[in-house]
Amino acid sequence: MARVYVSSVINGRSDRVWARVRDFNGLPSWHPGIAESRIENGEPSDKIGCIRDFRLRNGDRIREKLLGLSDFDLFCTYSILESPMGVENYVATLRLTPITDGERTFVEWTAEFDCAPEREAELVGNIGSGVFQGGFDALKRQFGG
Amino acid sequence: MIRIVRSTIIDAPTDRVWAFLRDFNGHDRWHPAVAKSTIERNQTSDKVGCVRHFFLRDGSELREKLLTLSDLEQTFSYCLLDTPVPLFNYVAHVRLAPVTDGDRTFWDWRCSFTTRPGLEEGMRQMVSEQIYDAGFAAVRAHVTGAVTGASQEGRT
Repeated sequence: MARVYVSSVINGRSDRVWARVRDFNGLPSWHPGIAESRIENGEPSDKIGCIRDFRLRNGDRIREKLLGLSDFDLFCTYSILESPMGVENYVATLRLTPITDGERTFVEWTAEFDCAPEREAELVGNIGSGVFQGGFDALKRQFGG
Repeated sequence: MIRIVRSTIIDAPTDRVWAFLRDFNGHDRWHPAVAKSTIERNQTSDKVGCVRHFFLRDGSELREKLLTLSDLEQTFSYCLLDTPVPLFNYVAHVRLAPVTDGDRTFWDWRCSFTTRPGLEEGMRQMVSEQIYDAGFAAVRAHVTGAVTGASQEGRT
């Protein structure tokens, strides 16, 4: 089982950062790697079990299922159903925690998955530095630092 | 039940901050309110269930019991047994997490407790500011070198 953990600090209150990221269909509005997204079967994007079908800027298509969403604990958990990445049993969580010392937010993004052993380092790097840190860098820019 | 959550970012790796915090008998080395700390019954300070006895700078004493300690999660929790102030059913949790974007530390310190009617705001403020915020500031000064720098200056 491979694990990825990336965390950062966003210069905005957690309710504002959460408003930006809670929409399971909203990746294109804040993540620079995502070109377009839709929720299958016309379901609302905060219905647990809904599936997002999105396209990356490089053309890859990924389908992910919403497993958990909490407006109280500020986290979102999802799994990959289909992707060209070559991962199995992929489950990821994006979690926000308020930093009471200043109006900032501690953000953590974790993933666990199985893959071919020779591809683990590459996948961990791509997901951690590319997808997760790339998303955090975009949020930091959007919230001014 | 009153709940308090305080959190901050310390500009040092979690291992450095954890080295300070994990010693349940070490708060007299960094917390400004604590003059002296001992562990009762000669137990080690990382034995879950051990009891620490604080002598505070204002002359009062209190006893606290270690409930959990995890080097893997960098967390510990403890409860108050005896206290000079009206804090009842006090249980506190400390959690560190790495900020991988910059090799810093996220530190979350939270508790729940009850007190006498009318004292809620005073107790909330005392715990938040004199214990938690003051603790954040003291550890920040130690691990980021401000205290060492000042004492070196003092010697020259």
